[in-house]
Amino acid sequence: MHPLNWLIVVGYLAYVVVDGVRRSKGTKEIEGYFLANRSLPWWAVGLSVMATQLSAVTMIGTTGQGATDGIRFVQFYFGLPLAMVILGVTLVPFLHGAKVFTAYEYLERRFDARTRSLTSFLFLLSRGMSCGAIISAPAVVFSAVFGWDVAWSVALIGIPTVIYTMVGGVQAVTWADVKQMVLIVVALVAIVVVLLVKMPVSPDDAFRIAGATGRLDAFDFSFTLNETYTFWSGLLGGTFLMLSYFGTDQSQVQRYLTARSVDEARSSLLMSAYWKIPLQALVLIVGILVFVFYQFQAPPLLYNPAHEAEVRAERGAEYDALESRFQQAFTEREAAALAVVGTEGDAGRAAMDVFLAREAAVGAVREDALALAGEVTGEQPRDVNYIIPRFVLDHLPIGLAGLFIAGVMAAAMSSIAAELNSLSTATVIDFYRRWVKPEASDAHFLSVSKWATGAWGVFACVVATYAATLGSLIEVVNRFGSFFYGSILGVFLLAMLPRARAVGAFVGLLAGMGAVAAVTFGAPQVSFLWHNVVGALTVLAVGMLVSRLIPARG
Amino acid sequence: MTPLEPRSGHTTPPFRTTLIRVMAVQVVSLILLWILQARYGG
Repeated sequence: MHPLNWLIVVGYLAYVVVDGVRRSKGTKEIEGYFLANRSLPWWAVGLSVMATQLSAVTMIGTTGQGATDGIRFVQFYFGLPLAMVILGVTLVPFLHGAKVFTAYEYLERRFDARTRSLTSFLFLLSRGMSCGAIISAPAVVFSAVFGWDVAWSVALIGIPTVIYTMVGGVQAVTWADVKQMVLIVVALVAIVVVLLVKMPVSPDDAFRIAGATGRLDAFDFSFTLNETYTFWSGLLGGTFLMLSYFGTDQSQVQRYLTARSVDEARSSLLMSAYWKIPLQALVLIVGILVFVFYQFQAPPLLYNPAHEAEVRAERGAEYDALESRFQQAFTEREAAALAVVGTEGDAGRAAMDVFLAREAAVGAVREDALALAGEVTGEQPRDVNYIIPRFVLDHLPIGLAGLFIAGVMAAAMSSIAAELNSLSTATVIDFYRRWVKPEASDAHFLSVSKWATGAWGVFACVVATYAATLGSLIEVVNRFGSFFYGSILGVFLLAMLPRARAVGAFVGLLAGMGAVAAVTFGAPQVSFLWHNVVGALTVLAVGMLVSRLIPARG
Repeated sequence: MTPLEPRSGHTTPPFRTTLIRVMAVQVVSLILLWILQARYGG
């Protein structure tokens, strides 16, 4: 990469750390460290919520998914605005009004200590692991693209994040999120502009080519439990997932607990609901445009440069043969794509059929190359996450490539920082202060909180270093959360029902997780988005039944 | 004070106003996606 690009990346990293450390000056007690003394404006909190949810997986995995699978992933977010509205009138007033540090603290007030501890423990377990996966996503890609050791890539992203989160607390996290969100959007828009300028066909023709391959089919109204991304799974399953994520996951709840008032907390959530679907569509369209760009510009046969180098070294002759087949197939596809442009009616449809056949031929050579890479490396050969980084480094002008790499780092760091901050909060407030040293001073808790943030950071970096062999990064993160999310949401919903009792909540929570486990292992074909619905409804049903059957003590 | 910090006198828009805006943005987004699929879909 050009030195100017590196200068941009290094400048960004230095700025984030210096600014984060500067913001630590006003933090003298844990209310300030974890909740910014509940003083932040709604728009900053809203941007922080968005930045936390938009990780590096979105920048490299979702854009890659747009290139290979099209825009249908956007359906995953159809439930989000609805979930935000529901949360705005239900859980947000409850949690913000209760003046708690963690969402789980509220459960002890409503139910009992064991329900609080169990839900908080589940949060620590799932988020601790997923935090590692979030660091590993860009680290693995950087390592392959730049030829670094994975541990160095993890350190490059992890160490600055741990420093500013540990020293500056939630103030540093939130204000860094605001700037990171701006950087991410600028980087994405810049790529779209470059793609449109470099594309040899008009945007209308580019969309025709993408549309012919089904990549612009945003809606799938089929009602099947086996398909992950459909309108119904997004609207129903997605609503439950987003309710769980934004309503009960401390990494999100803590964002809006920092808002000045209930009204500002609600507005911050709605602000992120505003832009989620358009932003997600933009991310996917970047991938789709890259797909069209590669119709007219020869793409690499394997996008993962590390795999490419290994295959060349070990099976060079076979790879050369595949490359010449690929070049031939690409040339034919390019001619077919150009024939599609400017033809209408029956001739246009015939040209489209030829193009689709050529596209399938290119896909077949790629499949052979991926199978060869799998054989040689012994690793998962899927290279979706490398499509956009390769495009950026090979085709973006000097400066913009650095901006994009900084954008990927910003996306990773904003998510990791929020998670480290919330993991530390749950550890200190729900366990250390609750069970170990309830009477200690505020200064003691502040010091422990900083060390807890650092310890979680080290843990996440270690997990990230060894999580490199995980499969599809997006699905891993979402799947892991789905085991607990729905059930924890069920407990919070129970908390709002006056007749629900502590024993019902605890038994319901266990039953909910059991039901999700039963569906996961008993009916693996059911899409993970439905697990949240199963978990939440089971907790509600079992919780109410047990509350009714077992009379309250005292 | 940095430029990103809140200005004095900054007010939160009423919840209902924000709600209506959110829903409007969602409806427009869905219509645009629908048009994209109807015009170019495979």
